Parts: sequence; C-alpha cells; structure tokens
Amino acid sequence: MADTAKPWTAFYGDNVRADIGGGSYRNLPDLVRSVADTYGKAKAFTAVLPNGMNGTLTFKQVDEMSDALAVYLREVAGLSAGDRVAVQMPNCLGFPVAAFAIFKAGCVLVNVNPLYTTEEMAKQFEDAEPHALIIIDLFADKIPGATKGHPIPNVIVTRVAEFFPAAPRGIVGLIQKYWDRSVQPIEVAHTRLLAAIAAGRAHIKSDKIEVDKYAQEVTLDDLAVLQYTGGTTGVAKGAMLTHGNLILNMEQAMELLGRDIVKGEETIMTALPLYHIFAFTVNMLAFYWLGARNILIPSPRPLSNLKRAFENYKITWMSGVNTLFNGLTNEVWFQDTPPKHMKFAGAGGMALQSAVAERWKEIAGCEVVQGYGLTETSPVLTFEPLGNARPGTIGIPVPSTEVACFSDDGEILPQGETGEIAARGPQIMKGYWKKPEETSKVMNGEWFLTGDIGVMDEDGYFRIVDRKKDMVVVSGFNVYPNEVEDCLAKHEDVIEVAVIGVPDGATGEAVKAFVVAAKDSGLNKDAVRNYCKEHLTAYKVPKQVEFRDELPKSNVGKILRKDLRAEELAKIAAE
Amino acid sequence: MVDEFTQTLLGIMVGVIMLGLGASLTPRDFFLALKRPQGLIIGVVSQYGIMPFLGFLFVTFLVVPETIALGILLMACMPGGTTSNVFTYFSKGNLALSLLMTVTSTATGIIMVPLILVIYAATLNIEIPREEIIKVLAVLLVPVLLGMTIRKLNANVGAVMEFCGSMLGAFFIVFIAVTWVPQNWQFLLGTSGATYVAAIGLGVVGITLGYFFARALSLHPRNARTVALETGIQNGPLAIAIVVFTFPAEQQQAIMAVPALYSLFIVITSTMVTFIFRRANTAAEQKMPDSLL
Repeated sequence: MADTAKPWTAFYGDNVRADIGGGSYRNLPDLVRSVADTYGKAKAFTAVLPNGMNGTLTFKQVDEMSDALAVYLREVAGLSAGDRVAVQMPNCLGFPVAAFAIFKAGCVLVNVNPLYTTEEMAKQFEDAEPHALIIIDLFADKIPGATKGHPIPNVIVTRVAEFFPAAPRGIVGLIQKYWDRSVQPIEVAHTRLLAAIAAGRAHIKSDKIEVDKYAQEVTLDDLAVLQYTGGTTGVAKGAMLTHGNLILNMEQAMELLGRDIVKGEETIMTALPLYHIFAFTVNMLAFYWLGARNILIPSPRPLSNLKRAFENYKITWMSGVNTLFNGLTNEVWFQDTPPKHMKFAGAGGMALQSAVAERWKEIAGCEVVQGYGLTETSPVLTFEPLGNARPGTIGIPVPSTEVACFSDDGEILPQGETGEIAARGPQIMKGYWKKPEETSKVMNGEWFLTGDIGVMDEDGYFRIVDRKKDMVVVSGFNVYPNEVEDCLAKHEDVIEVAVIGVPDGATGEAVKAFVVAAKDSGLNKDAVRNYCKEHLTAYKVPKQVEFRDELPKSNVGKILRKDLRAEELAKIAAE
Repeated sequence: MVDEFTQTLLGIMVGVIMLGLGASLTPRDFFLALKRPQGLIIGVVSQYGIMPFLGFLFVTFLVVPETIALGILLMACMPGGTTSNVFTYFSKGNLALSLLMTVTSTATGIIMVPLILVIYAATLNIEIPREEIIKVLAVLLVPVLLGMTIRKLNANVGAVMEFCGSMLGAFFIVFIAVTWVPQNWQFLLGTSGATYVAAIGLGVVGITLGYFFARALSLHPRNARTVALETGIQNGPLAIAIVVFTFPAEQQQAIMAVPALYSLFIVITSTMVTFIFRRANTAAEQKMPDSLL
C-alpha cells in the first residue's frame, strides 16, 4: 500500500526525526545490558511505600540480578527459549528484575493483573500455558484455584518490600503477616525470589555460564511479551508483542517527547501499574533506557500514598490516566506543595479531560499531554507534541507511524472524513496468541484497525469521535460488556442483563448494568454488585445498576445496547 | 521510691517513645496542617479543653487526698498518647489525623500543659512545680523534633523509629504492670475506690465526650472516632516521667497512682471502644486499589 500523506510531521519540532530507523538494539537483553553498562551504579528503581519506606536497586544490580534469575529459569527451572513466564505483581522492585530476566532467558513474559480473581487468572493461564509464574506473596493464595487442571511447574514468590534494607523489610513483613494479615500461607511448592537469584548466581559461578548466549538468537522479530486484552467477544486475547515492537515503540515515543529529557538525570514516578502496557513500555523500558530513576508506587490508592514519594524525590516526569491527574489536583497536600521539578506529564489509557489538563497546568506548573494507543500497538500511536498540544485531540502520530481513517470498505478516507482509525508501523503486534481468526479481524494488510472511530484535521491531529466496539474504558482499563453480562446472567435471579458504559466524572466511563430480575426475587443493587465482586476484578463491577421490566431488543431478539446508551445520554443531556 | 536505674531507664524509654512519635511525621506534614488548622484547633480544644475540665470535675466531686488529686489533674492535662494512633488504626479511623493531633498536642503542650495546670491547680489550691514541668516538656520536645527531621532525611530510619516507638509504648504498659504494680501492691489495695473511678473514668468519659464533641461539629464519623480516641487517650508515659523527674520521692507513689492506673486501664477501655467502633464501621478495608484509581 502506498504511503499516506503525513501532514503531522510539520509539528514534530526541531531535532525530531520523522523516521527513526530500525532500532538501536538487537533485542531487549541487549538494551538492558548496554544501559546498565552506561549508568552502572546510578539508582535505577526505587519502590516507595505509603509511609516512605523504600528500597533501591542500581542499574548494575538490576542487570546482575536479572542475569542470575535468567540462569535460574533456564538451568534450575529447566525452561527453554520461547517458554512463557507469567508475572503477577504490583509495582515493586521484583518487577524489573523478573521482566529483564525473562527477556535474557529468551522466554516470553506474560503480564497478569495482580487483582484478577481466581477465575480470571485461570482463563489467562489456560490460554498462555506459562511454564513458570513469578508472583507477589499477597496474591499467592489464589494459585491453587487458578492452576487447577493445568499446574504451573515453577512458582517463584516475591514480596512488596523485596530488596529493601533489612529493618524496614522485616517490619513490613511482620505487619503483613500479623497486623493486616494480607499475606496468607502459600499452599503450593514455590521458591523465594531471593533464593532463585542465589541459585542462579551459584550456577553462573560453578558452571561458568554466559547468560548472553540464551538470547543470542533472539531478533527484533521474536516474541517478547504476551499482553492480554479483552475482545468484543469478551474472550481475553494475548497480543503478541515482539522485542522490536517494544524497543521501537519506546524510541518512537521518546523521539517525540524527549525534548526536555536529560539522559541520566530524570526521576520519574510510576503510579500506573507496570503490568499495564503503557507503564510497561513508557515508564519501565523507555525511562530505563534514558537512565532515569524510576519511583515505583505499589499502590496508588488512596492518593495520599503518593505523598511521601512526591516529598522525598524530585519527580521530573510522571505518567498517568485522567483519573490520577484529576485526583491529584483535588488533593489538598498536592495543591499546597505541588512538585517543583516536574517537566511535563504524559496521559494515556483514557481521554484526558481538558478541564483536568488545565487545572493540572495551573497547580503543577507544567503541561500534561495525552497520547493514544492500544495494547496491540505496544501501545503508543499518537501523542500531543510538547508546546503544540490541542485540547480534545489525541495529538499526532509518533515518528515512523502512519495513522489513517478507514471506511467500512477498508479504504483510506481523505482528511476530514470520519472513519475507523487504523495504524501501521513497527509497534503493531504480530497478532493474537493462538487466535489467527481474531488477528485477521483486526488486520487489513499491514494496517491494524483500532475499533475507534476518529477523524484527522488538516494538520494531522486526530480526534476520537466514538468507539466502534462496545468496550467500556474505566480509568484506562478495558471492560467488555459481554464478560460482565455473562457473569450476571449466571445469577439465578437475573433473567436478562445488558451492560453499557456511561460517562463518569471520576473514571471517564463507568459500567452500568440493566437487569431484568425474576419476579419476587427481591434482588437489589447491592446483591448484583456483590455477586459481580465475587467473580470479577473490581473495575469490571457495575457502578450503576438499574432494574427494568424488559430490555430493548432488535427484531431478531438481540439486546440493543445502543438504545440503552442513547437513553442514558438523553437523560444526562436533560439534566 | 524509684531507684536511679529505673529512673534512667524510664527516661530513655520516654525519650524513644517521643522520638518515635516525632518520626511519624515530617516537618512538611506539620506545616501543611498549620495552613488549614481547623482539624488541629478541634484537636487542641478537645485535648486541652475537655480533658483538663474532666479532671477538674473528678477532683472536685471525688473525695481524694491532695496527692491523688494532683495525679488526676496531671494526667488530665497531658497531650495525646502514641497508643491513640494504634487504636485509631484498628478502629478504622483517620490515622493521618490522629498522628497530626498527637504531634500537635505534644508540641503545643510545652505551653498548654503548664498553663492549664496552673489555672486548675490555683482554683483547687494545689501546688505544682511549674518550672520543673516546663523543663521536662522542653527536654522531651527535642526527640520529637529530631524524629521529624530524621523522617524527612531518611524515611527508612524514620519509619523504623516510629515502629520501635509504638512497640516501646506497648512495652511500657507491660513494664508498669510488672514492676510498679507488684512494688505498690499494698498501696493499691489501700487506696480508695475514688482513685480507681478517676483513673478509669478519665479514659471512658474522655472518649465519650470527645466523640460527641466531634459529632456536634458535624465531623465525619471516621474523624469523630479519631478525635474521640485522641481525646481520651493521654500520654501516660509522659505523665509518669514528669512525676518521677519533678516531684520529691516521698510524694511520688501517691501522685503516680492515677497515671499508672490510667495507663493500664486505658488499654482495656480503648480495646473495648475499638470493638464498638469497628462494628459501627462495616465498610470493608481496602488492601489494594480495586482499579487503577
């Protein structure tokens, strides 16, 4: 297919290349190693707990420990190149060590949301078939239920205060075990992360192992990460992201946004979870690459958990979703002592409300620019260029990326016409794991179809008009109505159910369920929500529940979500 | 009455407890709170308004010897205790508010404690060693400020200190129970019921009044629970230290009776209150964010 016009390149600014070429590294292990060689003893990752307790790893330490863990995975756990390793933990120091080790071992990382219920974990494990699981102790009690019938042979357990100095680590351990009892005894055979690293080190010494050989054959085209995302059908699919996808996407994003970033001198806050592709690529990989110090926040909720991190570190950059920026600007402590060293902030995951962007600028004294992308695109496709942000748009495509609007017939539409946003570039996934039919539905040649309906203005800025899919985005997390409906439909008192997304001030969109309940069942809102809570992650649980006598249907009996949506929007407009 | 070794040990223990208290905050927290002082004013009023007045009522209406009366008044005029923070946590109250109130009442205590003591003591014709008390309070303010600074400079060391301070606060009560109680067994058997009424009543009535005071100001129940515990739970170790360091040895046993008994009974009172508060608060506690935000 011919190249499309790229009017947006005029807004790239000085020193931004329109084409970034083929990537600066052979693969992710090469990136990890050469960055560690450059920055050595500088601080790479610092995990900060709400009370300010913290632990830090230098670039050298992360590199050395991930070497040892890679050797453990290959020599002790007996994994081979290409084997999947699931990682399930909140932001903590074990995350980068685990991720880099998996890449170095030539294996494939499977990011798992730590808040998943046992059922959700089981579905993902069944599909990805991981040979090893690296999990936080907080959630290890779910393993037996999640691996029933398809056991994971190797389980490595880490903890929130891993790599902290002994005294705070001990106190956190005592508190988790005896005070809030958040850590339950682990029933499955497992190895502690520290023991695995020690075993790996011993092997390196005794067997003279060269870690680099595991990934020697790995090219940019090889699979690095399976990143799960729901689908319109509600079936979770693993987007196959390659070493090249991730390396090039971080280079693309930083080519456009890197203007004020000084290598080796930034301190960035990672309050978004690293298992989310935005934080994974932008916060973890890109800023590691730039030699920044990464402040990892294990739990950003309540927002006061970020207070000590803002107080104790000179944060120069942060990423977040609209909800986070909105929340922070409403916190009294943040208003009174906003960060002084912030250069700018990046928003993604959901639409950034212009009121929030303005308030942020007023309080924090720096810009917040938004980007757009999907799990399938590693994720960055577009970003608002610094100094040239246009409220209400998702910005312009990052270098080496083409974005266009497609007609229903699969043709590229001229500028100004509304169509499905599609993109092509080095960040587009290889396809869905073991689901070629699903892959063919979203690919049109080299173009990936996003499912979002948008329009491009004359300068190449894109604006999202609507979503083609029925997906609901709650604080940057995708919720697929089918999944929630399937869950509720199993409730014995639910006759019919339809789930849609409704606008929500706090989370962008909220899940709303319309339920037709069995006569005299006495089913109420709380019972519906509690039932969902048992089976679904919290963000998928309907915030609103409305009981109806019947639901609008098409003449073939299909429930019309669009009618419900129209009713809701009319109701809001009337208010 | 108290030998030199015990006295030194007591001094060190109270010092560490105060260090831990200071380390629960950074200077920035403190100045941020001063910017919006509504919460602090409520705290100071309940701490130095309700409690001393309650002590005054006990002394007025209960028939007790002057030394016991002095103990009641002293205990009633103390700043908030560090154990209030632990009970606030278990009661699902506002921990940040609790810490702030404790530190504020401790910091303002250097002025408020002698001032209020002098006013009530004058009304009751009780003599108190004012300068000596100010001195002890001033000396103990040093570890509080030191703790705050350390929390700012090194959060790990600060947080460990805070933890050790709270642990020692709990240990202090055990220490009183196993050293002071057996030594003073005869005295405790011989003392009047009124002494026990005051020692237990200060906590029970203080928490109750604190709660209704906060609710009357239409504070959120969560904050009202916090203010209640903060009001009723006084700094027992500090009162005992003041007795040991400022009063002549022959008076110490009697003056110390109420502070020591109070320190023991407040644990029982607060535990029961915590159960009541927890039942009132059925909302489940979050361990982790239930979505991204």
